[in-house]
Amino acid sequence: MGSKAGLRARGAGSQSSAGGGPRRAGGVARTLLGAPFTRQAWRELLYAVAGVPLGVAGFALTVAFLGPATVLTISLLGTVLGLVLLTAGLRVARAVNATQRVLAEGLLGERLPQLPPHQPAHGVLRRIDARLRDGAGWRAVAAVIAGLPMAVAKYIAVLWWAYGVFSFTSPVWWLMFRNHPAGTHLSPVHFGGIAVETWPGTWLAAVAGAAILLVAPWLVRGIVVAELGLLRRILGPGEMAARVATLERSRSEVVNEAAALVRQIERNLHDGAQTRLATLALHLGMARDKLAAGGPDEVAAALELVEAAHAGAKEALVELRDLSSGIHPPVLDNGLGPALENLVAGSAIPVRVTAHLTERPSPAIETIAYFSAAELLANAVKHSSANVIEVAATSPPGGPFVLTVSDDGRGGADEADGSGLSGLRHRARTVDGTLTLTSPPGGPTTVSVQLPLHP
Amino acid sequence: MRVVIAEDSALLREGLVLLLEDRGYEVAAAVADASSLLAAVAEHHPDVVVTDIRMPPTHTDEGLRAAAELRKEHPEIGVLVLSQYIETTYATALLAGNAGGVGYLLKDRVADAAEFAGALERVAAGGTALDPEVVTKLMRASRQTGGLGGLTPREREVLELMAEGRSNAAIAEAMVISSGAVEKHVASIFSKLRLPSSEADNRRVLAVLQYLRA
Repeated sequence: MGSKAGLRARGAGSQSSAGGGPRRAGGVARTLLGAPFTRQAWRELLYAVAGVPLGVAGFALTVAFLGPATVLTISLLGTVLGLVLLTAGLRVARAVNATQRVLAEGLLGERLPQLPPHQPAHGVLRRIDARLRDGAGWRAVAAVIAGLPMAVAKYIAVLWWAYGVFSFTSPVWWLMFRNHPAGTHLSPVHFGGIAVETWPGTWLAAVAGAAILLVAPWLVRGIVVAELGLLRRILGPGEMAARVATLERSRSEVVNEAAALVRQIERNLHDGAQTRLATLALHLGMARDKLAAGGPDEVAAALELVEAAHAGAKEALVELRDLSSGIHPPVLDNGLGPALENLVAGSAIPVRVTAHLTERPSPAIETIAYFSAAELLANAVKHSSANVIEVAATSPPGGPFVLTVSDDGRGGADEADGSGLSGLRHRARTVDGTLTLTSPPGGPTTVSVQLPLHP
Repeated sequence: MRVVIAEDSALLREGLVLLLEDRGYEVAAAVADASSLLAAVAEHHPDVVVTDIRMPPTHTDEGLRAAAELRKEHPEIGVLVLSQYIETTYATALLAGNAGGVGYLLKDRVADAAEFAGALERVAAGGTALDPEVVTKLMRASRQTGGLGGLTPREREVLELMAEGRSNAAIAEAMVISSGAVEKHVASIFSKLRLPSSEADNRRVLAVLQYLRA
């Protein structure tokens, strides 16, 4: 993925260096004329040169194994040998592929997708079976087969280079080998598509050679880019696989977050309400003993203990209420609008809440939106020094649900600084939602969380 | 009797100090984490230590590890471990090798000051104090493995109470039987578990250990 971006970035770079008014023409000319002399052009040429034998030999070897193997397998008589050859062919294809990866990375700095390694099985038959079912191996075969036309194209491109060099230097060759006395009749020599009969004529051929040399690097680059694209198509994970990877990642995030949340709740209970109640029981137990003893001093002490227990019970109630509303705020049952109103009440910075919901989102979406709003609001109050904060929850008919929290504060919010924004992004992603942050230094800051109405 | 307390919740820590001082014990130090506990023990050399299990910095089993270290370094000091939960693995780790001078109680037990103080006294005197919850859990586990298969239900009950650290008289009271009957059960347990006849208290500890390992 990153390598793809790298290739694009490089392309964009050469465009931007050529961009901009009067300098543009000069830049383009420099890029065009300079192409044969860039390092990249030479590396690409080297890649093409190496690619020709690799492509041809790889194809020939793979086909040499797979062709007879298929015939043998079908003929039944040679099934075993055929299967062995088949698996050998798959191995060859993988090896060719690995070499190709090394070439691309070493010469071009381009990363080709790595095929998942073959998972061997135990037992002869199962081993063969596993080899034959090795989807990645067959993709390698496809890449090798596609590699033959690419090798031919590379061969032509390399010839262009050679032909260009030969023609460009034709005056030299003429002087070295055709410097005969005047009047000698010689058959014409072809340089750059021009039949040359005299030394001055070679200059025309040299011009043609120069033109070829200017085009050759672009031809090579075109072929290389096309080949890399093709290989990525064949070897890289498909759209489905990419989707699966995204889902796997978001699933593991959800699972981990859920586990962390449960642990946090246990911890809060353990350190909070449980300890308070244990202390309360301790106080009441002591008070009971004192009252049982019955003396006036004991009764006074018991009263004190009961008062401590009473205070402890009230604190435990507050703690439990906070904890349970942190798990699921009951006000959310009345809808997101009232819940948001309730959330912003008592905020240190004035908050304007607007909720335009044509359709009520699913409870899960409401919960994510509510906790996102709570987190964003807390961030704004803590960091923005804003005069006013706006919280808006909207869902146009048929459209997605969008929660926007914006403030007129100092801006400069950064997702990387552990402000909890990345956590919110993870949460949104679990339901295929997105989070966008705009917070230039100096403000204002706007965070939008877009969620589907129903996950 | 001198006590050192380790409990990270200030509220409960103060409650424990109040309870113990009210009953006439001397609380030499009350600290909030395991390393302070070890330092306080080295400084005050108390008769008994009361420690929480989950304490800073990791809030996992600091207290338990401190308890194990104390039992190794100062076997003469009783260690009573308090916990919000009962973990049989913690109990067996705590009792490994020697069931004397150690206790493992749920924090709930602080609600009954007299019983809590009794358990503390037993531990300080080199006895054991296991929470009935611990005993029930261990018993359930050992029933599954069948380690104590030879005992009758009555004998199991006696052994459970013994594991909690109760005396014969207390067991008789709890089971509403005569102390003579308890003695008969105890003798039967000792012979079924093939415990050598030596000093009675030692055999009780051994019986409990065997029971815990079962």
